[in-house]
This record gives sequence, structure tokens and C-alpha cells, in this order.
Amino acid sequence: MNAAHRIILVREWDAQVSASGCCGRLGGENTELGDKDTFAQNRCEMEAMGEVYRALKAELVDVDMDITVVDPRTMIWLVPTLLRDSRKRGLGIGGIWSQLRRGVSYNAIIVDGKTLFSGRIPTAEVALEAVKEELDLRESELAVV
Amino acid sequence: MPAIVIAVLVAVAFFFGYKYYSKYLAEKVYALDKSKPTPAHEFEDGVDYVPTNKHVLFGHHFTSVAGAAPIVGPAIAVFWGWVPALVWVVLGTIFAAGVHDFGALVVSVRNKAQNIGTLTATVINARSRTLFLLIIFFLLTLVNAVFAVVIAILFEANPGAVIPIFFEIPMAIFIGQYIYRTRTSALIPSLIGVALLYLSILVGQALPIDIAPLAAAIGLEARTLWIVVLFVYTFFASRLPVWMLLQPRDYINSHQLFIALAVIFLGILVGWDKLVAPAFNTHLPEGSPFWFPFLFITIACGAISGFHSLVSSGTTSKQLDNEEDARYVGYFGAVGEGSLALGAILACTAGVGTYAAWQEKYVDFPTASSGAVGNFVAGVGHFANNLGVPLGIATIFAAVVVISFAATTMDTGVRLQRYIVQEIAEIAHITPLARNITIATAIAVIVPMGLALYPGKAGGDAGFAFGYLWQLFGTTNQLTAGLALAVIAVWVFTNNRNPLAQIIPLTFLLAMTTWALFINLGKFYSEGDWLLTVLNAIIFILAVWLIIEAIGAMNRARGERDRVRRGTTPQ
Repeated sequence: MNAAHRIILVREWDAQVSASGCCGRLGGENTELGDKDTFAQNRCEMEAMGEVYRALKAELVDVDMDITVVDPRTMIWLVPTLLRDSRKRGLGIGGIWSQLRRGVSYNAIIVDGKTLFSGRIPTAEVALEAVKEELDLRESELAVV
Repeated sequence: MPAIVIAVLVAVAFFFGYKYYSKYLAEKVYALDKSKPTPAHEFEDGVDYVPTNKHVLFGHHFTSVAGAAPIVGPAIAVFWGWVPALVWVVLGTIFAAGVHDFGALVVSVRNKAQNIGTLTATVINARSRTLFLLIIFFLLTLVNAVFAVVIAILFEANPGAVIPIFFEIPMAIFIGQYIYRTRTSALIPSLIGVALLYLSILVGQALPIDIAPLAAAIGLEARTLWIVVLFVYTFFASRLPVWMLLQPRDYINSHQLFIALAVIFLGILVGWDKLVAPAFNTHLPEGSPFWFPFLFITIACGAISGFHSLVSSGTTSKQLDNEEDARYVGYFGAVGEGSLALGAILACTAGVGTYAAWQEKYVDFPTASSGAVGNFVAGVGHFANNLGVPLGIATIFAAVVVISFAATTMDTGVRLQRYIVQEIAEIAHITPLARNITIATAIAVIVPMGLALYPGKAGGDAGFAFGYLWQLFGTTNQLTAGLALAVIAVWVFTNNRNPLAQIIPLTFLLAMTTWALFINLGKFYSEGDWLLTVLNAIIFILAVWLIIEAIGAMNRARGERDRVRRGTTPQ
């Protein structure tokens, strides 16, 4: 990561099913094979997280940050990244475990290794406020260091 | 030769393929431009179009494309010896699959992330989209048939795997309900799920479920009864919402994929097993299919798989942060699939014990094809045993992994087939069928079930038709790849670059598939096997149609380019 801050938005990606692309790709909306109803549940979550994403992008234009949207099943990336980011913050084992446990969730919003929301997607306004607050806190932590 | 040496040599070949050939493709053929905005930036909405870290995107892409097919094909193909299978996997991955997966991603990115079906209509012609749908229809029918047989064979040979697999279903539903309803962490439930699944292997081993007596009581073979049970299960499973079973099970499967890969390659490293299979099998019984051209349709996924173009163009292209990442995600994704095929080859040639044991398993083509996936399971079981896992448990573990993936593919395959049946019914104005999900699902289940149960006249052996059905599946998968390669080639050519990197694998694939189809057509006809004759003939016609469309598209592209060079416009 080249940016100063990493924001991770965790949510399921429709049509992301292991082994499905090998020879039975079940597509979601706007794909060749499948229909929009198949992943209707995911679409709601994707739309909700999309609002958060757009709000962060629009309001935090001056912040040197990197936003990554990741499916929680991509644990092979998510777990080491969360471990690395939370360790960078100087968290102890208990703290790291707590962030990890909450972060690898159906839905989560994580800022520099700290899980702000887990299991639910807040409104864009609430998410934006929480992320801003956390970024300020992190900046002050970094300034002390 | 020790399997680890082969693994290292192949890793070196893949490394050079990625480092040099994919670089050539990136710079000279696809002319990637980091500064060009990708659809992920152009249409960025945080929903479908999201610029994504290339490692994350690779994770999404690879877990989608890796499945059971790159295991079964190579496990059958070592019948001809390990060298032909290995060479095709290595060269196919480097010069065909990499070009195809990478190219489909690039062409989609340069065309507003359109999927390959739409691109086929745009780049070649509208008629080709119909061809695409027809190929997919037959591909799905065959996928569902062969994967049902694969699972049935594994259940029959590994009755200890029955309880874990059936236990996985309610467990996945429970995990899904727990995660989605309580909106809690997915990490611990999914890890507990994997642990419980593997613990249930102990139960499965203690209480193996052998349905042979039950099958015999109703006058069936065990495999036949399993196939019927599987399709009944799929009928109901494919009617469930995806969040109930399909997606929660995927939390477990996503762990299993990496556990299985780690077990295979660590087991090879620790055990230092030697390849016991011959480099070239010179003891082929009379009447066996010859490796040339049948090898190239027996191994589809693992050397090149057309279905990957649907992943590359459908979703991956919407998440690509910059064009240069396409090389890593697309080409390296193909390398990942090739590695899985390599694992399958090594399991079936080094994990089976002695040369005599291997010879028994690969005594003739029907035995080799019906036993292939069982041989893979035995091989992986042996590798896991090298790591200290008791052999009986290790073998059931391997069976559970393969069945989990095959069951997911069947579930998605039947759902897809249902949509296609409904779409065809809509076009044909058969309203009750178009609107009735139960009837559409029944058709999506009954047709492949009929194929899966078909014994084939040629040999009468229970596993005989499976080998040919697998080849037909490989053929349709290669035809899908051929269509995608034709689209990529035309696109490359119209952009004034050299399309040889696509045309060579395209020509090779089309030549091998039509040749193999032609040979089998004659064989099935002479044996009076009308079902396989008709099926083979239809796919042969699709292949010829594809060749005509590909040649026509290239000629039109050449004419267009010449006109542009001469500065004239068409009349």
C-alpha cells in the first residue's frame, strides 16, 4: 500500500462462488448467465456499501487513503492485511484478535486495522463521521510517534 | 523421478511464462496502458465498478475459476503417461490459458467491461451470440452429467465421505443463518465449520454409508442410485435462495481450496515420492483412444478453459484498477489453475504407490476414466499421509474436498441451465415452461441425469460412457475458449497488432476438437450408439460453425484494416 491510510470495506460480492467459474459460472446482475434475482440479497448489501464508498470518496478527497472493497471469503488477503495493519497500530494480541474477529465479517468497515463497524452497514453519513474521527485519531497517534 | 523435481521444474516454466511471455503479451499484443482509465474508474460506483487492489482481485478471480474440472481431466489423461499430460498442462497454461484469460480480461476492459457473450456479438457478429449460448447449453448439460458421475464414483469408493458431505449441508445452512441473522464475525464460524467438517470425517470413517445393498434391493447399481440421489438433491438445492446454502458453504470451501493445495504440495515436498507411472504409456490396449488428439479435449480446465472468459469479462473486468494489473490477475490466475492440474497429475502418478498399482488403475481407458478421480483422491490421501494424517482419514479428506467443489459446480450449473431453458422457452413462446421454475428445473435435472446414467453401448462397462461424456464436456469447454480466442484475435488484429498469440492456440484447439469429434462420430455411429452419435454430431456442427465464424471474422477484420490503410470506406 502506498497511501498513508487503508480503509477496507468488507461485503460479499454477488456471483463470487468458489469453483463456480471453473465450468458453471452463475452470474449476477448485468452478466451473461444468471438473473438479477439470484443475488438480490447481496445486491442490497452491495448498494448500501456502495453508498458508503461513494461518500468516503467524495468527502475525503484530500486524505491520502486507499479504499479496498473485499469479499469476506477472500481471507487469504484479508487476514494478513488486518494483522499487519492492526500490529502497525501497536495493538496487543488481544486487540489484534478483536479487530480480526470483527473485521472478517459479513459486512465490516475497517480503518488502518481498526474495525469500526462489523456485521452491519451504517448509513453513509454515520460511516463518514466515524471514519473521519478515526482518521483524525490515527493522525494524532502518528504525530506522537 | 521425484515428484518434487517435476513440481519445481513446472514452477520454473510457469515463472518464465509469466515473466517473459505475459510481458510480451502485455506490451506488444494487448498494448496495456497504465494511464488509460479502466471501467472501474470510468464508471466507479462502489457497487459493481470498484478499482480493486490486484492481490484482492486475484483472490476473487482465482477462487472463482479453480474447481474440480482441472483435477478430473489430468487424472484421466495420465492414462497416456505423465509426459503428454504434463506437457499439455504446462504449454497449455503458458501459451493458451494465459493468453485466453488475460486477453478476455483486456478486451472486456477496453469495451466498457462488457461480458464475452455481448463482445462476441459486437466483435464477430450477432449470430455468434446464438452460437455462444448453444455451446454453453451443451456444456452445462455435460458438466452436470459428468460431475454427478464424479461424485457418485467417489461416494461409492469412499463410503466414509458420505456422512461428512451430508453433514456439511445443514452445517452450512446453520452457519449462513448465524452469520446473516446475527450479523456476527464470519471468521470463527467458518473456521469452526471447517474443523467440524474434518471432525465428521472420523464419524464417516467409523460409520461408512454403503448404499450398494439398498441399490441391489431395488435392482440398481450403487452408482446409479447415487446419481439419482444427487440429482434429487440438486433439484431441491438449486431451488433454495443462494444465501441459504450455496454462499455459506462457500465460506467453508474457500478455506478448503487453500488447505488442499497446501496438503498436495507440502505432502510432495515432505514425502519425496517418485513418479511410478510411465513417462509414455506404451501398453495401451487395442481400441484405446490415442493421445493425439484426445489428450487435448480430455484436459480442458487446467490447460485452457473457456468458462474463465465469463469470469474475466463478467466481473473481474469491472474491478481492475489499472490495465497493467490484468497481466497479474488474468495470466497468473491461469497459472494458478495450471498448478491445480499439476497437483492432479502428481497425485495420480506419484501418489498411487507402485508401478503395478498404477497399471491396475490405468489398465484401459474405461477403467482409467471411471477411476480417475478416485486415483486423485488416493494420491492426495497419500500426500496427506506424508504429513502425518492417517491414510484412511486422509483419503476421506481428499474425497470431501473434491465432492464439495463438484457439488457447488452442480448446484450453480443446474441453476444456470434452468435460466437457459427458460430463456429458450421464452424465445420459442412456450410460456408455461418459461414461467414455471419447477418444470424448468426438472428439465435442467432430467436431461443431464439421463446422460449420467447412460452406460454407452461401446463397452457395456458402467464407467464407459463417462470417459466419452468427459471428452464431450472438454470439447464444449474448448469451443467456448475458441470463441473467446476468436474475439480476442479479431480485437487484437483490428488494433493493428499481431494476433498470432491467439491464432495459434485457436487453430490448434479447433483442429484438435474437430478431429477428436470426427473420430468419435465414426466410432459411435459404427457401434450403433445413437445417443452419443447425435450429441457428438451436434457439437461437431457447432465446432464447424465456430470455425466458419472465426475465419469470416478474421477476413472481415483484414478487409476493414486494408480499407483503413488505403483510406477508403466500404460501399
